[in-house]
Amino acid sequence: MSGGVLAVLVAWGVVTGVDLVSFLQAMVARPLVAATVAGAILGDPGAGVLVGMVLELFALEVLPVGGARYPDYGPAATAASVVAVGGGVAGVALGVVVGLAVAHLGEWSVVVLRRWNTRRVRDAAPGLDAGDLHTIQRVQLAGIARDALRALVLTLGGIGLAAAARRWPPVEGRAALLLLAVLVGIALATAAMNGKRLAPGRTGFAWLTVGLTGGIAWLALR
Amino acid sequence: MAGPPVTAFVRAGLRLLTVQACFNHERMIGVGVGYATEPLLRALPDGVTGDRYRNAMRRASTYFNAHPYLVGLAVGALARAEHDDVPGPQVERLRTALVSPLGALGDRLVWAGTLPAASAVGLVLSTDARAGLGAIAMLGLYNGPHLLLRVWGLLAGWRYGTRVGRALANPLLRLALRVVGPVAALAIGIALPLVAAHLVGAFDLAVWAGVATGAALAAGVLKWVAPTLGAVRLGLIATAVVVLGAAW
Repeated sequence: MSGGVLAVLVAWGVVTGVDLVSFLQAMVARPLVAATVAGAILGDPGAGVLVGMVLELFALEVLPVGGARYPDYGPAATAASVVAVGGGVAGVALGVVVGLAVAHLGEWSVVVLRRWNTRRVRDAAPGLDAGDLHTIQRVQLAGIARDALRALVLTLGGIGLAAAARRWPPVEGRAALLLLAVLVGIALATAAMNGKRLAPGRTGFAWLTVGLTGGIAWLALR
Repeated sequence: MAGPPVTAFVRAGLRLLTVQACFNHERMIGVGVGYATEPLLRALPDGVTGDRYRNAMRRASTYFNAHPYLVGLAVGALARAEHDDVPGPQVERLRTALVSPLGALGDRLVWAGTLPAASAVGLVLSTDARAGLGAIAMLGLYNGPHLLLRVWGLLAGWRYGTRVGRALANPLLRLALRVVGPVAALAIGIALPLVAAHLVGAFDLAVWAGVATGAALAAGVLKWVAPTLGAVRLGLIATAVVVLGAAW
């Protein structure tokens, strides 16, 4: 990977990290989007799509309501693509593992960031309580800067982990294929369980079942 | 009443894109709400040096939490209340009253509706040979309603002011609330078999047995054994087991 590609990839990881909460929330942080673009940056969008699809199923578990804790899949999917591109089935399997690990670290990093924000807001309380625009502006914009720093560290760490997984793959061949199968199974069940609770009572289960039937019929007719 | 100019609404709308930038455990997104409301308060009598502006700004950046896409409703309504010279305690009560409904509405409409539905459509289209189609469709399907909601929220909030509850009774919003959850569940149902076939369809029975094992594990563990474990941690534990098993 050239220095230019690495720089663009890191920039993309930061954009996806900031998109999670701080700025815009246009869902470029979703793994399907983040991994597809990362794959394209690395010259193989197809591999990015594959790893992004598995991580997207995992991400369907998350309902980011209120102050809930949730994994950060943007930088995670970016790092996952680094492993998946050119790595075949084993690359996709290890990419998903790296993605999950970085997403988990991302969840922790968001908690740390919120504590950091809380301290800064406490420090700025006199200005905020007085309604001073400059204080409000400073606190608000510094929040984005802190989140960008968090996303940068997470992306760099993720790419480092991805490089290690490529160099010293913990599983290869048949074992990697089985690992991918188990992870896909977990991801599918997670998405199904989440789909069931999107509508009240048994309605969600009913609509999910109708959809499953339709999907199977689509497959059969294809 | 001389209201704020159009540019103030544009500025407030842009600032709303950063409303969660300083999310914290004390004021939640209150600072972001103050930052977004400020352009709409500049047109208050006596301008930015007046007491009304200062008092309004003081109220604007206290504790607040709601769904980020619907915060515009609160920003518009609170700014309008300040322009209408509504007494401070009443503005504060309005602010408090908006927290729960705007949070619950946005969570149902967006996080438990539009987002999973767009995600499922993106997944289905990702099984197509043209890489990137799924991601583009997902972004398009999601961000259309997303941006519409943000713009509508700010304008409706300003229009209704202290009667902002009427905006929440919008029939289109009520209809969307009724259909979006079932649509999302249906879309996920359609996506699952297609995605499974795309990811592992070309492989043998042993691989499908692995998929079934993973699915049974997730269903059992996440539903009954450890519901708070989460799929990410379960995936990492399963990886450790497979890697150790392969090494052994």
